[in-house]
Amino acid sequence: MTTLNRRKALALMGASVAASGLAAPALAMNNKIKVGALRFTSHAGNFVAFERGYFADAGLDVEFEFFQAAQPMAVAIASGDVDYAVTAVSGGLISLADKGAIKVIGGALSEEEGIDGQKFLASDAAFQAGVKTPKDLDGKKFAVTQAGSSFHYMGSKMAQAEGIEMSFTPLQKVGAIIGAMKSGQVDGWSIVPHIAKPLAGSGAVHIIGNVSDYLPDYQVTTVFTSAKHAADERGMTESFLEGFSRGVDDYAAAMIDNTADQDAMVDLIHKYVYTDRPRDKAAPSIINGTMRLNKGAALNIASIQDQLNWFQSEGLVDADITIEKLVDTSYVDIIGA
Amino acid sequence: MDIRLDGISHSYDTFEVMRDISLDISSGQIVCIVGPSGCGKSTLLRFIGGLERPQSGQVLQLGDPPEGCLNPLTYIFQDFALLPWRSVSGNVSLVLEDHGIKGSAARKIIEDVLARTKLSDFAKALPKQLSGGMKQRVAIARALAVNPAVMLMDEPLSALDSQTRELLMDDLIDLWTRQPFTAVYVTHNLAEAVRLGHRVVVLSRRPGRIREIVEIEKPLNQREFGDPDLDKAQKHLWQLMRDEARAADAELINV
Amino acid sequence: MSDVSLGKSVAFRGGGFAPKPHRWVGVLVFISLILFAEWGTRTGWISALTLPKPSDVLQTFQELYDSGLLFKHLAPSLSRLIVGAAIGASIGISVGILIGLFSYIRSGLVPLVAAIFPIPKIALLPLFVIWFGIGEGSKYALIAFGTFTPTVVATYGAVDNVDRTLIRMGQSFGLSWWSIVRKIVLPGAMPGILSGLRISLAIAIILLVAAEMLGAEYGIGAYILEAGSLYDLERLFAGVVILSLLGVLVSAVIGLVERRLLGWRT
Repeated sequence: MTTLNRRKALALMGASVAASGLAAPALAMNNKIKVGALRFTSHAGNFVAFERGYFADAGLDVEFEFFQAAQPMAVAIASGDVDYAVTAVSGGLISLADKGAIKVIGGALSEEEGIDGQKFLASDAAFQAGVKTPKDLDGKKFAVTQAGSSFHYMGSKMAQAEGIEMSFTPLQKVGAIIGAMKSGQVDGWSIVPHIAKPLAGSGAVHIIGNVSDYLPDYQVTTVFTSAKHAADERGMTESFLEGFSRGVDDYAAAMIDNTADQDAMVDLIHKYVYTDRPRDKAAPSIINGTMRLNKGAALNIASIQDQLNWFQSEGLVDADITIEKLVDTSYVDIIGA
Repeated sequence: MDIRLDGISHSYDTFEVMRDISLDISSGQIVCIVGPSGCGKSTLLRFIGGLERPQSGQVLQLGDPPEGCLNPLTYIFQDFALLPWRSVSGNVSLVLEDHGIKGSAARKIIEDVLARTKLSDFAKALPKQLSGGMKQRVAIARALAVNPAVMLMDEPLSALDSQTRELLMDDLIDLWTRQPFTAVYVTHNLAEAVRLGHRVVVLSRRPGRIREIVEIEKPLNQREFGDPDLDKAQKHLWQLMRDEARAADAELINV
Repeated sequence: MSDVSLGKSVAFRGGGFAPKPHRWVGVLVFISLILFAEWGTRTGWISALTLPKPSDVLQTFQELYDSGLLFKHLAPSLSRLIVGAAIGASIGISVGILIGLFSYIRSGLVPLVAAIFPIPKIALLPLFVIWFGIGEGSKYALIAFGTFTPTVVATYGAVDNVDRTLIRMGQSFGLSWWSIVRKIVLPGAMPGILSGLRISLAIAIILLVAAEMLGAEYGIGAYILEAGSLYDLERLFAGVVILSLLGVLVSAVIGLVERRLLGWRT
């Protein structure tokens, strides 16, 4: 069952070095790690930290492993093929945590007042038929990728708050959802602003509300790693979070707080995101996609607890999973508690 | 109803199969056609039955088929050609259904022909349960059911062992004696030819032509296994064919 | 001659190469694999991440049954399977027979069938959603399309294999074209068509999961996909077991039909 690959061997050596009392600070170890990423602006913290050498400063030799979706990335962390990644809290993530495979160690993307966040959308057909606000989606079809995805959570919490009933239509992929929205096969959806805005601009869909109105401090994505790393590789994990946080700070300064050069930041992000488009076409999408990445990877525990409760109330995950099983709070600032 | 073959010639591409065959088949007679392999015996039979068209010459029906004849030219095949998914009576009823004969009318015909071929006890059996000889008797019963003017028999006993063959020859003779029928009987077995044929037509090697027509006077019901007259006729036939058969055997097959 | 000491007996060297059915061996293999998995997961030698406990899977199945959700998932899946496969197989058999009987149709359609056979039907799902809507239409279409091609190929192969002498026989007795097709070609092609159906229906079950990827709230495929995205191995396996049982059931039904229709085979 335990095949000893090169990376695990290194980790083991690191552990034995530490055990033998020769423990040097993590900074000096120059650990080789793999970081999972999606080509989204929400992963910019990692990209900046890598490009500006913050990971190297923290003694980490980072290699990116790119994924098409969040779900396989979570499984890759569980299987030990990837060391750290950023993803939304999903039913799959909670189940993997329950099986003792992974831990959430920090926060990334958040909804924050004053910053354009995720949007509720209505298809053009539904909009013409009178769906002008999220409340009007009563009895309509709401698109999700899968049951237990963040889309499902957002839709369900909105429906709960508005006191309406919707049916959730699983379509697996964002691309499929966009197609179904355009052709009016589904009525509503929620998505990050840099996808919502161009779609609404083309007239195919209409923005009918903000997710932050229903979920004000929604902790959309989190930093997570394997339970083993969280427990046994403290030095390496702290180094990673340190590098990541510096990346996040640079990103926030340039994109949100406007205290640094935005153009340079867009250039940097464009290396990873929308690489198939020319810079001038990619730039608006990158800028539109700007959302708050938590400073110091702080984690909003109240939001996580709310999400966990929702998953449990829907019967999507085991009812006796505790927040302690999901989150290791010892690494970053815990907010909202 | 008589059949007349008038100057039949045929070739496949540049390959000449038969040349200028003319023959009269008169009612109530069994005409056997023998010849070395590849002389076109079976092809000739398919011309007579209208399953193939000769390149030149024609096959003529002289006179009208008898009253109540459903299928004037009826085949009996070497490999029986029974539908394996139909019972014995079902195989017979197959050829009646298309003529709109159903229900009790069909049952009467089926019972009659099965009785004539001694198959009454096997009406419900499937072909897989029958021996080769029984299967061929079913095929004969099926042919009798349509009351044919001429039976076209293509090596009907070749797939059977020699004892069964003897038994079936006796059966055929019985059938003919009780009610004479017209038949063209193709075979490579000279013993069958002399037992069943009123006339035996000997074809030459490819391209097939008529070499000789041997008349056998002895009535069918007096012919028996080991009959000296028949042995003589058979010897005569063999002498006619021997060299041609050898030459035919040595030919390369390029069909 | 009867003196045995005069010679040595001839060594036996025949036998073998004649597989005999031992039904219980298959059952034994199943049971021992399950027991092995149970033992491995109980001792922790196999981690909870690798494989679920078979007993937990059984319990999940029990819960699914008790909650009535089993039939809520099974009913739409079965109707998709039956409608889709019925459409695909019946069109497939008809087209296969036409290909088998008419040379122009054969020349026209065989290359087309060869061209669409290797297309992964799943890849066309988004297209089907546009054509047939996100409801049941696209699901029927996907399953029908997936069963169509193998059925066509099996059917025209089966028609080609019908004994030509039987057809000649039919012609020699003056049977009409339609009678020959109905009474000789169709029954003669039935063995080939049924063994083709075995494959087509297995493909239909495989495609069920794909068909329920888009817009299915209930269904065995949707249930499996949801379990996968939740990384809920117990539910995932419970769903997979249902599909397996469905496969066994379909195979048994075809076996029954074969025994009823093909008893004439030797």
